[in-house]
Amino acid sequence: MIRVCKKLTLVSGFCVDQNGEMYKKKGAKKEVVMRERKLLLALIATLLFIGLGATSSFAYEEQDRGIVHKFWKMLLPFDDRLELGGFIKNETSVRLAHGLDEFMKMNNVIGLKTNYKITDWLEFFTYYRWFWDAVYTIEDDRYRGVSHEDVNRKLRMPEKTQWLRECYFDIYTDKLDIRAGKQQVVWGTADGVRILDLVNPLDYREWTLKEYVETRIPLWMFNIEGELLADGHLQLLLIPDYQPNYYAPAGAPFTLRTVDIGAQGTANALARGVSVQTIDQKPGKQFKNTKVGVRWQNVLGGWDYTLNYLHTYDFASSAYTAFIIRPRAAPLLRLVRRSEQIDVFGLSFSKTLTEGFLSDLLKGWTLRGEFAYTKGGAMNYGYDETIQGTVDVDQYNYCLGFDRNFWTNWLFSYQFIQFIVDEKEDFPQFYSNVAGIQTQTENTLLFGPTRGGLDDITTMMTLKLSTDFMHERLKPEVLVLYGFDNDWRISPKCTYEINDQWSVAGGLHIFEGDSQGLNGQFDKNDQLFVETTYNW
Amino acid sequence: MLKKVILIFFAVAILGLIFDAGSLFALELKHHQVYELDRGMSIEDIMQVVYFNQYTKFASDYQSTGYVYLIEGSGAQRSRTFSRQRIILGRSKDDIDYKDVTKFTGPTSVKGLGILSWTYMEYGRDPDQWLWLPSLKKVRKISASQGDDSFLGSDFTTEEITTRKFEDETYKLLREEKFNGYTSNFNGNDYYDGADCYVVEARPKRDPWYYSKRIVWIDKATGGDIYQEIFDSTGRMHKTIFKNYKMMKVNGKDYATQTLLEVKDLRTGHSTVIEMKDIKFDQGLQEADFSERILRRSKW
Repeated sequence: MIRVCKKLTLVSGFCVDQNGEMYKKKGAKKEVVMRERKLLLALIATLLFIGLGATSSFAYEEQDRGIVHKFWKMLLPFDDRLELGGFIKNETSVRLAHGLDEFMKMNNVIGLKTNYKITDWLEFFTYYRWFWDAVYTIEDDRYRGVSHEDVNRKLRMPEKTQWLRECYFDIYTDKLDIRAGKQQVVWGTADGVRILDLVNPLDYREWTLKEYVETRIPLWMFNIEGELLADGHLQLLLIPDYQPNYYAPAGAPFTLRTVDIGAQGTANALARGVSVQTIDQKPGKQFKNTKVGVRWQNVLGGWDYTLNYLHTYDFASSAYTAFIIRPRAAPLLRLVRRSEQIDVFGLSFSKTLTEGFLSDLLKGWTLRGEFAYTKGGAMNYGYDETIQGTVDVDQYNYCLGFDRNFWTNWLFSYQFIQFIVDEKEDFPQFYSNVAGIQTQTENTLLFGPTRGGLDDITTMMTLKLSTDFMHERLKPEVLVLYGFDNDWRISPKCTYEINDQWSVAGGLHIFEGDSQGLNGQFDKNDQLFVETTYNW
Repeated sequence: MLKKVILIFFAVAILGLIFDAGSLFALELKHHQVYELDRGMSIEDIMQVVYFNQYTKFASDYQSTGYVYLIEGSGAQRSRTFSRQRIILGRSKDDIDYKDVTKFTGPTSVKGLGILSWTYMEYGRDPDQWLWLPSLKKVRKISASQGDDSFLGSDFTTEEITTRKFEDETYKLLREEKFNGYTSNFNGNDYYDGADCYVVEARPKRDPWYYSKRIVWIDKATGGDIYQEIFDSTGRMHKTIFKNYKMMKVNGKDYATQTLLEVKDLRTGHSTVIEMKDIKFDQGLQEADFSERILRRSKW
């Protein structure tokens, strides 16, 4: 028996049969039943807590928020302890490369947020979000995976309890706040880069083009924050829930290169008569698998700082593969998805220079930064897209940021970021023997999203410029991300607020770089986008 | 040699006194006390009381709900609503003058946005500010806005609402007169018709700056700057500001507080109205209510 251990990333919950068709694993029916139960429970809970306070006497201040809001208020004959809000949004993008005749997204989103103030110290909040991306119907020929009907389902509309974005109770006391339920928690001071922001996994279906608040995958957790000093707060997170990062499947507009390569490898194996089996090894729902986070935050001499610790599982869950030769049966490629336990030790700081030096030198600048040491991670090594194995690594990542307002209302925000990898063990080199000549190929660590070679130190910079005109009605901005391997993304955007309810935004995402680079892998995905939002 | 050193020391000290004459003769206003305008006050004293009242330093704490209306020349209107809480400390140990928390409650596009601000007593020191952005779901330390930047997208500048201090300008009393009255475009009400006022010319020390001078009408009864005409660098009036002050009886003391602010940009025709409602003073707010933890309670 030949046993090869490899790391691949596949779509969770699906297996590929001998004919190359993907099918849902056993237990799919149970999942549907569970989903319906959860939906029902959430609706009952919402109605129950809305109904509890029908005789309340205190009210939120609200003003005219349009006809949709009036409709909801009429539909729900509850008192003013219930806050309602929401939005309807269309997100459309077209690929620049194909003469603007190829849609990359035609996403329609409905959001509904409710907050119910049960007492002065107890509140119940829910955020529901549904979407339907019509592009998988319109561009059916283009965006299809191995079995696109199943695989693209999650891209087309929410799956499982995705529609329930947030659902939690808030308990407020003078010294202690408790938030219990499905939520997202953000750590760190960096923008658009995840150094300490590791509490929630991320949905990468549109890479990192959207705000993280829309793409973080909320988790069920207890979030307890106590005031120990006047400005010193200790936060404790207990997270019994686990979800991995979500990556778009092969065939989608923003499929990671590593996913494409993995899917191609699977297809090749099947074509050679090899059976493929996928086994998910998610952390079980046991007490011992509860993730724990602790943060101390304080203000000292004008310096804001935090000390952070997080015991968690790596969200980039990936598959270890084994190739098994079986007597009287086709060889078997077994893919085991596993999440590594990691410990993150970190700190962050921020400081605004309110006084400046030597006649206002540097006055007005805000300095910020964060650092994270991640212990216990794993990475693939190999060469030329080929994974040879897995090696334990520690990581040291940090970000330094500098912000200032110039010329009345121009915000300048610059970040310098480095990711440093420290292999904890040597990995072997690869030898090949062609026509009697033995050659050595140098293995390197592989960059997770692309399987390109990974340097020990990866450096990035970001620059954001933004301003506003017409009494903050027109807001242009541009974001530039640059990696030292000449890997770029430039995203100019302009938002226009038509009135209190309606706004439109338009812009571009331009990718540039090598196919093995973070942004270069989407070099052909340059797009023009338009977003229209109705808030109520 | 020693004599020379002593002479130089005294010369420097006297020069310092001359250049710092403004602060030497300034009033020593104590936080949490009420000051009224008296007949014998200098114009500097008067303006100090005006600033003292504007930032409600007479109270221990303050809270209100604000309704902002941004009105185009065509009449088209956008709005913002916010709640504001302030605790007035006047604490020399860490130089903190007061702390503010402002939370936006509408419209939905900005709902949830919160700003925590610590203002210092030392002249020239910027405030420390923290921002809760719903789109980031985290508290961010931010650089103070430039003084000439628009306040909430309105026709007010940040300086006019939050950061201008007594020391930023020089003052000249032009005359005392009865105010002609102001008719609000927003609600049609007449205000301060025949009110006794000081008329003061205030010029910014900063040069160049977005205005060259402002003429301020100060109501003798409330100690409030009820009307201003603001002139640009060419000397042309480009903006008018009206503020309505209301006297509130709190624990036996008379507090002057702003209830309506109207500003008109004479160049563009754009105007802004801010109504302050549900105003409360001295409710026993705690300093712990002005920390990052309070911003993190935001849900939207």
